[in-house]
Amino acid sequence: MNLHDFLYGVYPYIALSIFILGSILRFDREQYTWKSDSSQLLSKAGLRLGSNLFHVGIIAVFFGHAVGLLTPHHFFLSLGVSDMTHQMVAIWAGSIFGGLGLLGGAILWHRRMLNKRISVTSRGTDKFILSWLLVTLLLGLSTIPVSLGHAHEGNPGVMIALAEWAQSIVHLRPNPALLENVDTVFKVHLFFGMTVFLVFPFTRLVHVWSAPVGYLGRPYQVVRSKRHFN
Amino acid sequence: MSHFLDRLKFFDKVKATFSNDHGIVTNEDRQWEEAYRHRWQHDKVVRSTHGVNCTGGCSWKIFVKNGLVSFEMQQTDYPRTRDDLPDHEPRGCQRGASFSWYLYSPHRVKHPLIRGRLLDLYRAERKSGKDPVEAWAAIQADENKRKSYTSVRGLGGFVRASWDEVNEMIAAANVHTIQKWGPDRIFGFSPIPAMSMISYAAGSRYLSLIGGACGSFYDWYCDLPAASPQTWGEQTDVPEAADWYNSTYIIITGANLPMTRTPDAHFASEVRYKGAKIVAMAPDYAEFVKFSDLWMPIKQGTDAAAFLAMGHVALKEFHIQQQDPYFQEYARKYTDMPMQVMLRKQGDGYVTDRLLRASDFDGALGETNNPDWKTIVFDEKSNSFIAPNGSIGFRWGEEGKWNLLEKTGADQRETTAQLTCINHRDDVVSVGFPHFTHGEDSLLYRNVPVRKVKLANGEETLVATVFDLQVAQYGIDRGLGGGNVASSYADANVAYTPAWAEKVTGVKAADIERTGREFAYNASKTKGRSMVIMGAAINHWYHNDLAYRSIMNLLHMCGCVGQTGGGWAHYVGQEKLRPQAGWAPIAFALDWHRPPRHTNSTSYWYFHTDQWRYETLKADTLLSPAGKGKNKGSTLADYNVKATRMGWLPSMPNFNRNSIELAEEALKNGATDEASVAQYVAGQMKSGALDVAYADPDNPVNWPRNLFVWRANLIGTSAKGHEYFLKHLLGAQNGVLQESGAGRDSKEVKWHEEASIAKLDLMVDINFRLNSTGAYSDIVLPTATWYEKNDLNTTDMHPFIHPLSEAVSPGWESKSDWQIFKTIAKNFSVLAEKHLGTKKEVVALPMQHDSAAELAQPFGEVKNWKNGECDPIPGKTMAIIKLVERNFGDTYRKYIALGPLMTKLGNNIKGVDWNTDQEYEELKKHNATVKEPGVSQGMPSLEEDIYVCDSVMRMAPETNGEVAHKSWAAMSKKTGIDHHHLYAGRHEDKFTFKDIQAQPRKIITAPTWSGIESEKVSYTAGYTNVHEHIPFRTLTGRAHFYQDHEWMLDFGEGFCTFKPMVDLGELNNLPKAVQAKPHLTVNWITPHSKWGIHSSYQDNLRMLTLFRGGPYVWLSETDAKQVGIEDNDWVEAVNHNGATVARAVVSQRVPQGMAMMYHAQEKNVNVPGSPSTGKRGGILNAVTRVIIKPTNMIGGYAQLAYGFNYYGTVGCQRDTMVAIHKIADKDVDWLERPLTPEREAQLNPVGIGAK
Repeated sequence: MNLHDFLYGVYPYIALSIFILGSILRFDREQYTWKSDSSQLLSKAGLRLGSNLFHVGIIAVFFGHAVGLLTPHHFFLSLGVSDMTHQMVAIWAGSIFGGLGLLGGAILWHRRMLNKRISVTSRGTDKFILSWLLVTLLLGLSTIPVSLGHAHEGNPGVMIALAEWAQSIVHLRPNPALLENVDTVFKVHLFFGMTVFLVFPFTRLVHVWSAPVGYLGRPYQVVRSKRHFN
Repeated sequence: MSHFLDRLKFFDKVKATFSNDHGIVTNEDRQWEEAYRHRWQHDKVVRSTHGVNCTGGCSWKIFVKNGLVSFEMQQTDYPRTRDDLPDHEPRGCQRGASFSWYLYSPHRVKHPLIRGRLLDLYRAERKSGKDPVEAWAAIQADENKRKSYTSVRGLGGFVRASWDEVNEMIAAANVHTIQKWGPDRIFGFSPIPAMSMISYAAGSRYLSLIGGACGSFYDWYCDLPAASPQTWGEQTDVPEAADWYNSTYIIITGANLPMTRTPDAHFASEVRYKGAKIVAMAPDYAEFVKFSDLWMPIKQGTDAAAFLAMGHVALKEFHIQQQDPYFQEYARKYTDMPMQVMLRKQGDGYVTDRLLRASDFDGALGETNNPDWKTIVFDEKSNSFIAPNGSIGFRWGEEGKWNLLEKTGADQRETTAQLTCINHRDDVVSVGFPHFTHGEDSLLYRNVPVRKVKLANGEETLVATVFDLQVAQYGIDRGLGGGNVASSYADANVAYTPAWAEKVTGVKAADIERTGREFAYNASKTKGRSMVIMGAAINHWYHNDLAYRSIMNLLHMCGCVGQTGGGWAHYVGQEKLRPQAGWAPIAFALDWHRPPRHTNSTSYWYFHTDQWRYETLKADTLLSPAGKGKNKGSTLADYNVKATRMGWLPSMPNFNRNSIELAEEALKNGATDEASVAQYVAGQMKSGALDVAYADPDNPVNWPRNLFVWRANLIGTSAKGHEYFLKHLLGAQNGVLQESGAGRDSKEVKWHEEASIAKLDLMVDINFRLNSTGAYSDIVLPTATWYEKNDLNTTDMHPFIHPLSEAVSPGWESKSDWQIFKTIAKNFSVLAEKHLGTKKEVVALPMQHDSAAELAQPFGEVKNWKNGECDPIPGKTMAIIKLVERNFGDTYRKYIALGPLMTKLGNNIKGVDWNTDQEYEELKKHNATVKEPGVSQGMPSLEEDIYVCDSVMRMAPETNGEVAHKSWAAMSKKTGIDHHHLYAGRHEDKFTFKDIQAQPRKIITAPTWSGIESEKVSYTAGYTNVHEHIPFRTLTGRAHFYQDHEWMLDFGEGFCTFKPMVDLGELNNLPKAVQAKPHLTVNWITPHSKWGIHSSYQDNLRMLTLFRGGPYVWLSETDAKQVGIEDNDWVEAVNHNGATVARAVVSQRVPQGMAMMYHAQEKNVNVPGSPSTGKRGGILNAVTRVIIKPTNMIGGYAQLAYGFNYYGTVGCQRDTMVAIHKIADKDVDWLERPLTPEREAQLNPVGIGAK
């Protein structure tokens, strides 16, 4: 097995396994560490702008990737979304939300590294994960000129290859060969992206699991009874 | 079971709904609640307390979980009080409740620490083949080596070392010091034994065994009221807090009850519900003011004036205008009011002189024993002068007449002492009373009725009663004519009227008058249930004894002292070491060697930190025009040196020679025994070949060399003149902003142009937290906290004795103080065996109070042998000289065993002796006996802390009914009165450590104290004097209004008078930068702390969170505005002593003209550099300097005789002025720079030389 096969055939499963098992174990065993570690108490400077931009950007980018990569090709076509439309939506949505995320991330990174109170109270993983996400984001954005080139040529092949590879992973039929002719910048971006999943359970990212979506539909009062329910 | 699996049951979450689906019922997992339950779960609960000198003495539950202390909580199982009294508990305050933080805090000293440079030097010497003592000697002999570590004291640089290595070094330093300089160059400082007596005893026992000296603390802290021994011959006996509840009228001044007596303050609230009136006197709106019905906002430091004016009212209305029968009987029986004072002609009138004595009469009125010490009253029954029972002459050399029964000493006839001769007077003469108020006459002549007496020498003299003189001195008009008396309270020109007091104090005359009248009226109706609660705020002044005497006068006029619900209640650093009689033999190794070396710390530090070299207070300005003035031209230091030469106060070191060499020399020159050695020493003193060490404190021969500090924060809080300590004693970076020179005028103290720097070879701090004292030490040893050792604790505030217990083993490498000194003793013995062997040494001992030596110098006449006025006679005109033999190699074996002198010489306390044979035998069985072969094999063991606790309790009358019986039997013999009923119900009681761990025990009534433990009255001071007729331990045997010692009269303090704050000229050479800026000049007040107590809590994270997070100074709103200071600004307080930096708290609570920096805010948290000194910001005492008072040095004269923590100079610090200015935030310098050679060399502030 060469490095390519390992990185795009095996590594995704290592990352996903650790991501899922690690999250479950940490949730079960370390409830007190299951939190976002907000530093708002220490310093509010730049947080409102930076955090909102970053979160809006990154959430949009995440769902963009999920939909774009995991929706079967024929499903798009049956909806009447042509490959080129798909490509252009990906490029534009990616640029806009990736840009927002990058801007917000840069503000947060600056704050985390240079604000003395934040910096000294940060753990190593806090600084690492923010930096890693930023690099991943940057790499993602660097694919845009390449994608624009493809779009210009009217060639959606790389996009389709990437989606098919992603689906091959999810279908447990890994096919690293699909990526052999993809531009290097995509491959590097993929590696960084997968690594985010790998380190996820060891960082503050676990708070993503507990996004308080439930609050939206929650009744006014939640009580428990001493009566035993089964 | 699994949080994750639970989550998977998402769709099953809603079990029911209610309120139209606005609410849901779930059965979500409740496991998270366990976290909160675990927080309060514990494995065991252990009883302990806090060994801090708040003297709260509160019993606490210590909760232990997994071998760690998790929290503490107030115990509520004290024995109940009687039915008509509220209970004591719950006791404990926020500070105590947060103590467990320290155990695992970053402050904790976890391992032995040593200054890295010193360790390198020592290891290098040891490596070169020298043995430990030689290695230490080699370092000390090399100026540069020594300086390399002394000059970086306070600058960090500690490294971890092993117990073995530091113990060896400490032992080597002690051995070397004894060999080269003498044992008394080793000094120990530790305060307030009562807070953890075994820990105190550990260091003091070690030091006493090797001949080292222990320094006093009560006087050094200025908590010691000198007025107490002056008046009663007793040091601080006060009511328990519960007795406040028995009062019906209370004046509170200078004691902030809710803050510093938190666990007791409830009694003050409760007694108000019962209807008592409370009057508060305080310059600021202090916390205790809220208890009061009337607040008198008094100008700080003028309390004496207000109380004298109240006394004026009480005396006039209840003794002159009408004679209250209770007051008159009390004055006659229990005070010196009827005693006869001789008058001396001076100028056109007279001044008061000494009390008349039996020996002044022909045939000494039939008195053969001590007639010089028996004072005289005029007996109304026989119409003649007689010497009544109870004066000090009856205390020594005879038995059965030392009592306050109204009888003649000679033939035990019934008598009635006459208070005034106004109706039987021979004459009326004009007597001058010294007066010290600025802008008023310095001698106020008033007319006094007198009698004529023919003396044994044929001369005739005039005498007046203390009562008649006192009435005149208060300025009350009795229709005898003459000036300086007032017929109206509104006469502001006559001293001591309410109107006069209003001028001085700022308190409305009407308030003073009403309070004086009500106080007396209440006492008259209730037989003395009027009380004054007082404390630090009025006691920390130079003339504190006068402030206190003004209060005691009022109390005695109104018959309050000795009555439940009445009397003085002095609460500041006071301690009641209840089982003192059982503790002292162990603490001072009296079971092996007598006497131990004790010294009064104030004088000690005054000389050894060279504060005397800077003395700006001229003693001559304090002298009275009515004195003999033989000492005109002397400096304060001169007075102290004279006092030590005359055997009044100790000098430590004793002599300017090694006491071992001195003994050898005496023996070589023909002396054979103690008496002839003493003769030799006296001869050497007379020839000038030998002198007291204080006569030349800058001579390296007289320097203190080794210092142990334990249970204390000497440098960080209690060092008045903090910067002088750093400069001269330690040789460290210091902020003294002047050079010495003012002390050059001293005639008795040798002046060296160059001052001494870094006198100490070694400073060892034993502590559980690294505070400022540790930071300046050379070695810091980790000790057990109050939850990690077994010890005993008692207090004035309640009558119980309770334990400190080892709830968890001492953390990290720490050990209890008893074990630490045990291992030091062991190391010392090994080295001493080789280098010292057995040696005899000379020990000088001042004439002690409560021993026959207090009769050394009759009539209060001062005869100084140095001036040729007499010969130096040991024990008579100079110190008592003792010869003590020590086998230094046996130190450890002696430390761990209760020694043989307990059976050979027995035990004693306050002049009462008894035999301890039975207790000694019991302890052999109760404790183990010593197995270690040698001098102490088979004796009761003191190896374990609990053995020591049990030995103390077994030997003390307060905790062993049998000992109470023996000591009271001895007392009954002395007084001729049967006191058996006081303890009879508890004869069989014996406390052990396990008993008091189960529940605090109420102590047994003992002759050590003047109050009783009873089911009928609460403990109050003076009770047995008044109700059992046991005399006060004074010259007359009664409470004294009048002091007749020559030095008292020299300084105009025969009667209590008002003296204003002294001027020390601290602002004469302010730094130019400060002069040029807007600044305040204010009086520097250092009250007892809000969030800390002396040695801890201030830097406790929880307490810091409550207020400002670091040091702060309170300023008046108006003052602050004038110089542009806003709340929370950084400010600097500066004067010639140094500077300190803190945040300003600007408040309307504080009056103009004063700044308050609460006590014990030290250098270790949030303290920036000072712009004036360039050194780290300082502490509350960085701007103070100690000044000593000659009248506090008097000795060898009845109640005015030295006793450890009983009498002596006090470390006052409130008569201090500072300049305060704002530091802009941008100018705050945190000094966070590396140590460069230039910075290291710059010990003093830039521009200040080494002098």
